[in-house]
Amino acid sequence: MTYLALVQNGIAQGLIIGLAALSMTLVFAIARFPNAAAGDMLTFGGYAGLFAFNATGSLLATGLFAIIATALLSLAMYYAVFRRLAGRSSVSLLVASIGIGFMIRAVLGVSFGHGQLVFEIELTRPYIIGGIRVSPLDLKLALSALATLAAAFGILYMSSIGRQMRAVADNSDLARVSGIRSERVMAALWLLVGALTAVAGVMLGMATIVAPEVGWEILLPAFAAAIFGGIGSPIGAVAAGLILGVTQELSTPFVGFTYKIAVSFVVLCTVLVMRPRGLFGKAEAVR
Amino acid sequence: MRGNRRDVLRSLGAGVAFMAMPAVVRAQGADVIRVGALNPITGSGSPYGSGMQKMILAAAEAVNAAGGAGERKIEIIAEDSQTSPQAAVLAAKKLIEINKVSAILGTWSSGVSLAVAPFAENADVLLMHTSGAPALSTMKVNGKGLFFRFHANNERSGAAFAELCKRRKFTRPATMAFNNASGIGNVDGFRKAWEAGGGKVVESVIYEPNQPSYRSELQKILAANPDVIVTGSYLADTMIILREWFQTGQPVAWAIPGWAVTPELIRAIGPTAAEGIMSVDAISNEDDPAFKTFDAIYQKAMGTSGRSNVYAAECWDMVNCLALAIEAAGGPVNADMLKAKIREVANPPGQQVASFAEGKAALKKGKINYEGASSALDFDATGDVTPTFGAWSVESGKLVMKYKFQA
Repeated sequence: MTYLALVQNGIAQGLIIGLAALSMTLVFAIARFPNAAAGDMLTFGGYAGLFAFNATGSLLATGLFAIIATALLSLAMYYAVFRRLAGRSSVSLLVASIGIGFMIRAVLGVSFGHGQLVFEIELTRPYIIGGIRVSPLDLKLALSALATLAAAFGILYMSSIGRQMRAVADNSDLARVSGIRSERVMAALWLLVGALTAVAGVMLGMATIVAPEVGWEILLPAFAAAIFGGIGSPIGAVAAGLILGVTQELSTPFVGFTYKIAVSFVVLCTVLVMRPRGLFGKAEAVR
Repeated sequence: MRGNRRDVLRSLGAGVAFMAMPAVVRAQGADVIRVGALNPITGSGSPYGSGMQKMILAAAEAVNAAGGAGERKIEIIAEDSQTSPQAAVLAAKKLIEINKVSAILGTWSSGVSLAVAPFAENADVLLMHTSGAPALSTMKVNGKGLFFRFHANNERSGAAFAELCKRRKFTRPATMAFNNASGIGNVDGFRKAWEAGGGKVVESVIYEPNQPSYRSELQKILAANPDVIVTGSYLADTMIILREWFQTGQPVAWAIPGWAVTPELIRAIGPTAAEGIMSVDAISNEDDPAFKTFDAIYQKAMGTSGRSNVYAAECWDMVNCLALAIEAAGGPVNADMLKAKIREVANPPGQQVASFAEGKAALKKGKINYEGASSALDFDATGDVTPTFGAWSVESGKLVMKYKFQA
């Protein structure tokens, strides 16, 4: 019973980490650098959602506004910075993304203060299903996360632009030779990345709080999940997020709460030692 | 990977050059006393940090307007501790080595104060802080006696929590503590006092900062069926914990440090969930003239009542205390002299004074006893103040003061 409750907690956290990891792994695969601004984009999504929520009170409007605002921010980042640095080493891009992250955090801090803000959703008592307490809000958030993942995978695997993205990820030179316009693919990638981080940010904000540092603090677990899942593997990133979340929570009866984060990283290391390309990674995809 | 290494080296070089630039190198002058303000402008302490910094600046301005301390102006150099020990140590080193400050004022969290302490001690710089960790007043940390605590020691706050639980006739307390010196100090102080009274703590958890959720921690505590949960927590984590607790549906009372139970908290979790939450904290010296002066200035600077930020009142007192000590010392000062003079101007006996200007005048006639905005400001042998505690309860979305007591 307690274990089931722990698994449930793990899933709730794992979905947020998974979404952030998915957005990172896509950038890894297609633009070929670790996007350290992902955490702060997520924070931005949380603030955008909060703004819409306070203005309208509707969850749907909150989600849509956050997605649009963050996708636009993401696109602006691409045109203003990453496109100009295309072809540079991934270290230059990484450093640029760290800088953008700092800027986003600073602007949010100056505009909205460094205090903690919350979505003032009326708190409700839980449903009790088979002895397990499930909060209605959690359920809604989990369903929205699954819907977002379904939409993202739909775009990646069932649409033409998704096919082009995967082609660029597989072999960008070959893709260019085949007539795929890389700029369009990149624009689509950054829009998708923005949308994914926005949903993760709103989820995190609704489940917990909105503050300028929340995204930065989730960056490391998201990074870990992206590597764990196999760099560049979308499904791997989500699965790894869930595994990290659940392991972390399930370990608490044995190691206590202080060391649960370490346990999830022990699992990460063990897997990488036995399977260096990660859970779902292809050996040749790792460069 | 063309040009990769060169690019990296070039950017690293630029980065190093950038970091090495001192923010402002100030001219040395014999007629100023430089004092560092190291407050939590960002991070967990951010609800209080800006107010603390503004009150240090305002108090210094008042001292300078009254002719300065010992005929010298006080110059404040402000840094952000980010409520992070690493950032605070960098800032403290800069204050000590580059700005050559004689005192560092207003470190807030215990983690920060403990990290800055050895640097201050080695450089013979006074440290006036608002942290709770008992360790800060031990011989091991404060061997030279250069540190002054303007806020309640956690052992005392813990005892105050035990007193509150006793008055409310709780029998099955559990504790939840943020994993730092202050959080743990608070619940340890509670446990000590509670067990000394013959009680038992049914369950306890220490949790990590900056987690998106504390549900598993909460489940462990709630499984022991406590009738009250005593926390050593900050605002952000308390918000998350209380929201998650309410959604579990299990009734329990909460006793939380005052710094975490703010109007923002009540707004964030809603009046229904907040109803009945108890908080305990050291309270400002609200009937004292010093508090009235402070309150008016705080109101002007921050737009809210000075009652909402006891740390700002403590920072106000730090500057006044330090300035009076310098005034009392007369000529050139050093840390050893100041630490004795601080007790001399703050502790009884002596003529009670409520501001620097008043104290400066009274010093010409004899010994003074500064009565602060934050407390009567009497330091014991270990450098701790002995504050009065207040207990509040949330009623219909408002914090209502229930009683005051000494612990």
